Amino acid sequence: MKALRAARDLWIVYVSTIAGVLRRGGARGELVRQLHAIGNKSVLFIVVTLGFIGMVMAYEACSQLSRITGDYSQIGGQFIRLIVSDFGPTLTALMLATRVGAGIAAEIGSMKVTEQIDALRMSGVQPIDYLIVPRFIASVIMTLLLSVIGGLVMFGAGGLTAEHSFGVNPEIFYDFTQVRPRHLILMCIKALAYGAAIPIVAGFCGLRARGSSEGVGWATTAAVIGGSFAVIVLDFIISAAALFVTGGDL
Amino acid sequence: MSVAPAIRLTDVHKRYEKREVLAGISLDVAPGSRLGLIGPAASGKSVILKLIAGLEQADGGTVTVLDHVLTGKREVQLGVVRRRIGMLFQNYALFDFLTVERNVAFPLEQRGGMTAHAIAERVAERLRAVGLFGSEHKLTAELSGGMKKRVGIARATVADAELVIYDEPTAGLDPVTTQKIYDLLAADHVRTKATVIAVSSDVAALAGFVDEIAFLYHGKIIYRGPAATIADAPDPMVRQFVRGELEGPLQDVRPEAP
Repeated sequence: MKALRAARDLWIVYVSTIAGVLRRGGARGELVRQLHAIGNKSVLFIVVTLGFIGMVMAYEACSQLSRITGDYSQIGGQFIRLIVSDFGPTLTALMLATRVGAGIAAEIGSMKVTEQIDALRMSGVQPIDYLIVPRFIASVIMTLLLSVIGGLVMFGAGGLTAEHSFGVNPEIFYDFTQVRPRHLILMCIKALAYGAAIPIVAGFCGLRARGSSEGVGWATTAAVIGGSFAVIVLDFIISAAALFVTGGDL
Repeated sequence: MSVAPAIRLTDVHKRYEKREVLAGISLDVAPGSRLGLIGPAASGKSVILKLIAGLEQADGGTVTVLDHVLTGKREVQLGVVRRRIGMLFQNYALFDFLTVERNVAFPLEQRGGMTAHAIAERVAERLRAVGLFGSEHKLTAELSGGMKKRVGIARATVADAELVIYDEPTAGLDPVTTQKIYDLLAADHVRTKATVIAVSSDVAALAGFVDEIAFLYHGKIIYRGPAATIADAPDPMVRQFVRGELEGPLQDVRPEAP
């Protein structure tokens, strides 16, 4: 029963956020602040984590190939295809779900337990318009941008690893010919879906915070778990839909 | 012709999970009058204030405020009524990301219809009234408890609301600051003639400010009478509570046995 009520409340937050975006709710200055908080402040985190993951993945792939065929001619092309259609946006979003999701939930949660949300309502302000809508718009824009940056860094770091550890020629590795428009479209769809899900889940958890600092802690943990879970589930659904639409030729 | 009450609660019930907090409250507050709510801890005083502000919904009964029925209304509709209400929260509820000046200006900015210059003048006048002129650019984290309370009062009264709700306006303050705060609230009432409903644990100070006091016990209003004579109220439970006596008919004010 509680789960059903929570699902209903999450749906209400989602619908209210979309309605807020459509009626241009939220303060303009706040959007700029959130673009900076979600985007600029996450760049280093995304670059470092996706860079390392790219290095590990390229090393593992080259290592496996060296034992089987020793032919590295396809590795770069397949690697970038996988990054564009899946790893770039998904890993970026998972990182954002921890950094941004936790931040949003803690901020809104502490406002909830200190009655600041009620004070907003007393001023005739819709808390979802004021707090979630700017974060939603900023997250959608920045998840897409960071997915592109993270994907490129991942590919670049993978190429460097392949060259230095296995002597793979960079001209062979950095092969973009395997990337088709459908992969780019898939990346955009995933990044936009993840970018929308993270602030909604985090905002929902923040608004459900009760009591004191313990409630804020609960909201933060729930936001990270819920945001990560949403990203994984959306990845599966969107990938499955893409396979279905393309007849398995992705 | 009789004037409609500014606040009317009719057989209001409120329950949190298994605990019934309000068990059929009925209450009328006339426009321009000041009512104080007292009662033991967790007797539902703040819940009544939140119902009147439309921040909570009643499970049963009807809440009518400033000629609007709040029961069952949506957030957007409640927002229209809330703009006519000022509220001081128990824990200040100041926006910690805004300065003192922006906190006080916030209700006016959101309401619209005023120029930035007019808002700045109004905010300056309110800050002068609460003795905080010169602290406009401070963040709320830099303020003491008493100063935060005064910022909260300035924000609650900046829009000259028709109804002002004070939830524990002097909790945690020393007696001198408490008196200053009540003098401030009284001066404001003389100026605006707004309807006031206030909750406070400091019964003596509250009685000097409001016209009437209602006593809430086990989810019901069991007494309502003039504030000036509350210490001599005919109801023995009210007398025991106001006088702070351990022995008497009130069951849940005694210290728990070890």
